[in-house]
Amino acid sequence: MKLVAGVDIGNSTTEVCLGEIGDGNSLRFLSGASCTTTGTKGTVVNIHGIRSALKQAVEKCGRSLSDISMVRLNEAAPVIGDTAMETLTETIITDSSLIGHNPSTPAGAGQAVGNLISIENLENAEKDVPYILVVPKQYNYEIVANAVNQLAGILNIVGMILQADEAVLVYNRLDKKLPIIDEVKYIEKVPDGKPAAIEVALEGQGIRMLSNPYGIATLLELDAEQTRQVTPIAKSLIGKRSAVVIKTPNGNVKENVLPAGEIYIRGEQSVCVHLDEGADKIMQAVSDAGEIIDISGQNSTNVGNMFSKIKRGMSDLNEEEKGEIRITDILAVDTLAPVLISGALAGETCLEKAVGVAAMVKTQQLPMQKIAETLERELGTKVAVAGVEAVMAGLGALTTPGTKLPLAILDMGGGSTDAAMIHEDGRVVMTHQAGAGELVSLLIQTELGLKDRHVAEQIKKYPLAKVESLFHMRMENGQMSFKETSIDPRFYGRVVLLTEHGLVRLEEDLPMEKIVQVRREAKQKVFVTNAFRALRKVAPEHNLKRVSNVVLVGGSAEDFEIPEMLMEAFAGERIVCGRGNIRGMEGPRNAVATGLVLSYMGEML
Amino acid sequence: MIAKRPSIFIYANSAHSEILREICAGIEEEGVFFEVFGKDAKSADALAWEAANDSMMGSGIGIVQNRAALQMRGLCQGENVCVLDSAVKAEYRALGANSARIIKKMPLK
Repeated sequence: MKLVAGVDIGNSTTEVCLGEIGDGNSLRFLSGASCTTTGTKGTVVNIHGIRSALKQAVEKCGRSLSDISMVRLNEAAPVIGDTAMETLTETIITDSSLIGHNPSTPAGAGQAVGNLISIENLENAEKDVPYILVVPKQYNYEIVANAVNQLAGILNIVGMILQADEAVLVYNRLDKKLPIIDEVKYIEKVPDGKPAAIEVALEGQGIRMLSNPYGIATLLELDAEQTRQVTPIAKSLIGKRSAVVIKTPNGNVKENVLPAGEIYIRGEQSVCVHLDEGADKIMQAVSDAGEIIDISGQNSTNVGNMFSKIKRGMSDLNEEEKGEIRITDILAVDTLAPVLISGALAGETCLEKAVGVAAMVKTQQLPMQKIAETLERELGTKVAVAGVEAVMAGLGALTTPGTKLPLAILDMGGGSTDAAMIHEDGRVVMTHQAGAGELVSLLIQTELGLKDRHVAEQIKKYPLAKVESLFHMRMENGQMSFKETSIDPRFYGRVVLLTEHGLVRLEEDLPMEKIVQVRREAKQKVFVTNAFRALRKVAPEHNLKRVSNVVLVGGSAEDFEIPEMLMEAFAGERIVCGRGNIRGMEGPRNAVATGLVLSYMGEML
Repeated sequence: MIAKRPSIFIYANSAHSEILREICAGIEEEGVFFEVFGKDAKSADALAWEAANDSMMGSGIGIVQNRAALQMRGLCQGENVCVLDSAVKAEYRALGANSARIIKKMPLK
């Protein structure tokens, strides 16, 4: 009786499979477990993750760590994935000239034009000049309303901008009704004395004057040249419920195109492509280049910095010569990122064009032997480095019921998408492609403007629902779910994630439909593109028609919608494609770890 | 036909006037109606629960001196949406706003 453990260290997860070899070389699988990879794959800190995964696995079947007589590590593919994002355009407001935002409760309706005046400077106000009153939050709504009511007939106040969320409270106490905008965060930056136009939309509508360049021209008396200049302002205010445009002599909104730079691809063909030509052109260049030796960016441009950052990060971790780190594949994806407009007064954002890039770095052999030696010392068990990752994954994938050779496997992990084609004679053709789960998280994070990567990861993993009352919620597919006991009021009215540990609330105020759309598009852009790219590389004669069976394995194959997306995409190619089910029970995970245990059997025979 | 304004009920027993004012301001800013009634019960939890059940909109607030509780119809007594005890003014304002947001089915503050 021998207890053998297969350990697969991936970019983001470490997996373990435990098997028992009995008399007559019969193999019985006992359990599987997985744990987050500690540190970068292929470094000695991985051992912490390995230990806890092993511990989980032995506990599941009532054994202890000392029962294990053999640990087998995968010869991890020497590729490490990393991601980066760069915006290509930026919007800058010079001299603070607009506020356009959606406070939930502005008050009044219509537009007003006047000179801005702070409530502190009211005594300097002149008669017969229309004024827009600017009020910082230390002034209470009752004081403000009283002051304005008393000034009626003395001064001509036509509208108000408040810092506090009190527009309705002030409005209700006014004798003469005015349009009021509230929740303007950086009120101290609103310039005193400048002419401005404010607009609050009618109920259920968006603003009409300030989102139209000629509307702004009419209100602020602009000439043709100035009107041309305010067009980006009008554009950025479309769909808002309230807005302020301030006329400053030098004020302007500029839409800059950043010097994005060129990407140099050194390969069979050397190609050079501009980052701002977009993802399609970049990917075309990557495939034109053939076998790639290295990819770099133009010095001191966005893209140059991006690539050197990735390489620097890798060399720190691998203690290798910097010249040894080579980027051998990239996946570029077009995206839109809501970026804070510099110079804006209420924290407004503007959707800017951006490109997300996943890069794959080929290193020299990862120091797996070093990990094995350290682990052997710590556990007091024999540890061996065995087998190429793709072959092991293939062996493991074959334990899926209903599979046979020749077989293509698509291993979709966190850092890279790998494909291997296993022929009947045992020949294996494989490839590693940049871009997988982590790029999807990055895309979700940027497109939704999330501060936290962890939230993006969760959005990627779990379906959404909206809590509509204390006793029911609507799922993203339209289904209703009723609860016997009341849902925690903290979730009331919120979009929530349905995780295995219960509901998780999203703090961001985003509509469910928008999140679903962004999530699905990110997955399409990364996984469908990469699946075709990878399979074409390993298919006989690079012809997809020659691939008949594809088994999806790896962490991202566990996703609740990616396998379906791929099945749809492959339907046209007449390929049988589905989520693997390792050992008929593990689902798509644990393929490599299982393969490691199986290959041990093979070696003994 | 009896026409009744759909409003949030506030049941108060010797409520601190400043607190009551902040709560009412929170509701008013959200644009929802409210009605204040004087009551004898000594517990804010019980008052809030009663108010939520009496309100046509299912949203009620109970105030006893410094303590304010927010309830929704359907929750058990004592299982408040939120409770404040000698908190700062802005928190009472938010409690008022939340009682209105319950009706508007908006995420709470």
